Amino acid sequence: MGIGGPDQTAFEFRGSWQAFLPIALTNSLLTLVTLGVYRFWATTRERKYFWSQTRFIDDQLEWTGTGLELFIGFIVAFFALGIPFIIFNLVVQGSILQGMPAVAGVIGLVFYVAILWLVGFAIYRGLRYRLSRTSWHGIHGGSDNPGFAYGTSYLWKTIVGFLPLGLGVPWASTSLFKERWEAMSFGPHQFTANPDWKKLMKRFALFYIFPVLLLIVGVAGFTRGGGMDDNIGGAIALGGLAVVFFYIALPIISLLYYAAYSREVVGSLGLGGLEFGFTARSTDWLVLVLGNIGLYLLAGFVGFMGALVFGGLGAVMMGGADALASDMATGAGFAGLSVVTIITFVIPFMLLGPFIRYRSWAFFMRHMEAGGEVNLESLTQSETKPLSQGEGLLDAFDVGAI
Amino acid sequence: MNDPHFIWHYDGKTAICREAILTATEGGFDVAADGLPLENYAWADLVYRGEKSGGPYYGHISRPGWQIGLTDPLPDALFARLPKPKRYGGFIDRVGLVPASVILVAASAALIFGVTKVPEVVAPLVPMSWERNLGDAMIGDMGGRFCQTRDSRKALDVMTARLNSKGDPIEINIANINMVNAVALPGGKVVIFRGLLQEAKNADELAGVLGHEIGHVRNRDVMQSLLRQTGLSILLGGANTNAAGALNTLVSSRFSREAEAAADDYSIKLMQKAAISPDATAGFFERLSGDEKKMGKAAAALGYLSSHPVSASREKAFRASKQTGVAHTPVVTPEQWRAIVDACANDPDVEDGTGLPF
Repeated sequence: MGIGGPDQTAFEFRGSWQAFLPIALTNSLLTLVTLGVYRFWATTRERKYFWSQTRFIDDQLEWTGTGLELFIGFIVAFFALGIPFIIFNLVVQGSILQGMPAVAGVIGLVFYVAILWLVGFAIYRGLRYRLSRTSWHGIHGGSDNPGFAYGTSYLWKTIVGFLPLGLGVPWASTSLFKERWEAMSFGPHQFTANPDWKKLMKRFALFYIFPVLLLIVGVAGFTRGGGMDDNIGGAIALGGLAVVFFYIALPIISLLYYAAYSREVVGSLGLGGLEFGFTARSTDWLVLVLGNIGLYLLAGFVGFMGALVFGGLGAVMMGGADALASDMATGAGFAGLSVVTIITFVIPFMLLGPFIRYRSWAFFMRHMEAGGEVNLESLTQSETKPLSQGEGLLDAFDVGAI
Repeated sequence: MNDPHFIWHYDGKTAICREAILTATEGGFDVAADGLPLENYAWADLVYRGEKSGGPYYGHISRPGWQIGLTDPLPDALFARLPKPKRYGGFIDRVGLVPASVILVAASAALIFGVTKVPEVVAPLVPMSWERNLGDAMIGDMGGRFCQTRDSRKALDVMTARLNSKGDPIEINIANINMVNAVALPGGKVVIFRGLLQEAKNADELAGVLGHEIGHVRNRDVMQSLLRQTGLSILLGGANTNAAGALNTLVSSRFSREAEAAADDYSIKLMQKAAISPDATAGFFERLSGDEKKMGKAAAALGYLSSHPVSASREKAFRASKQTGVAHTPVVTPEQWRAIVDACANDPDVEDGTGLPF
């Protein structure tokens, strides 16, 4: 089966935010009333929606994961990570308090190396889990490689990538992309990935060129504005430049680089007779990010207004701030009011996550492309071992998997 | 009933989508499709999977990828045997969203109540020797940062003996850290920071603060809050949301405030018994509340959220506790007080405690 004509794309996202809103709202509500336990089922409902609204060639994707397995993954990660972390904290605090900072330092170092390994391992396991729960035409993906070696690669490549003043980062990230994706399969086919880090170096150089340019501009302005006599003016100019750099230039450069990176790595992916592509340009990413910032502002506005209206009304009904100050016995009422105010404030923020994920998924699918041939008869079921639990580790580190 | 019905079908072995025919049988149904052997299934094997091309579709309980989907609606009698759509998850779908939410809120509230109340019962049962071991392991001698001279030790002992009339297991030390504070740590270890000694105007001010910390030891507050914090962070650890953080602060600060007020009460009792005037301690809180007054009415509301009661109300409590007709005497002599205040300056081999995580 070939992929349709030039006007038909291989990937299409057909969801709408109006249809997603009830899912996001009820997920937030249930997450709140279960003290967060429901969020594993919430994630599953969200993904079922995203996947089912995504068409690849002639059929929709299906998310076959369950909330329960995510929950089990979380419990496993909690014991595997949480308990050593608590013990580690106690030991380090004890060593510092008892005047043995060297011991604390060594333990800390070992711990952070272990964490770095675990982050790599978690990324790998998260990707493997997601592919194993993604079904198309009844066929799913996965891997039989447990990912321990990937954790080690992640550890040393990340360190080596940062050593030459960070210049090795594009090499490290592309080679890690290749390593994790080539360990994955879908049906009987193994993924292939051959991203070229050299193509990314021009964009990456911006991280180095821009600060130098900024410094030159700064020094020029500084000498022109009165030289060394004008210390205050100089300090303000320098502070301004730092703000420009960290809050505007650095995010934009990161975005420019990430746009090139994602085009390169996804564009190098292949599976069976399929070649994938990713078309998002830097301006597309910029629109995505600005939209997300807009969502934050909207949530902040709605949250503050809600809290103001509820909190204010409640306080007035309880006799105003004076009654509150003079009689702390109305504490129960005040606590109730706090809870209502917190909820009105928190719900808009709880909706942020789902809608940012919605936008990311839609963005991703809008810009995904595929070309080539799929032979349905030879696309047989994956023979990878089934997984029993979800992406608990990944969840614990809060990092992306793709 | 046994009429054939058109469906679409994936067998889960290849990606080929087949047109197939479903026929109800005794206790189940047959699926017949070109190129596949006729197979019989039980209705109970089906799992609802979602909607596709305008109709529901179903998977098989133990065969990954196996699917059948309805293209035309089935007769009601057959449709009734198919599993119902799942929305929120098993329990919530059975009870309904609103009733389930109410039940879950009640359960969550009960759980939080349990986790916060249980330490009150459990903490006194933890043997003091365990707590002392924990304290030793955590604190030790603070790496030589305790200030001590022979005179300061003697003066502190006199002060402790006068205050600690109930004989609680207390070990008081001065730490070479420039902070206006004192803490009760696990195992009855009370630590006074150097900054507090420099801030205090006389020994009686310190007596009120020390009595407060002895109150914490007496009430096993340290163990309680250790247990409560561990419980709450495990309970709310899964939440990972702003709401959970806010809830945690709200709940634990409420208990902390109660504990602080109880420790103040205990301090007042100890001072009354030892015939030490509470005026100095009240004066200390008066100075602190001077800073808070500048913040205005917000202080009252903030007091509700913060860990300690507002200083003004603490001042009032100490001030009101003064008994008439009692001959108050200073807790230690001025010379002894000097020895305590200058302990850090006079201790030749004390380590500097700047940069400790307090």
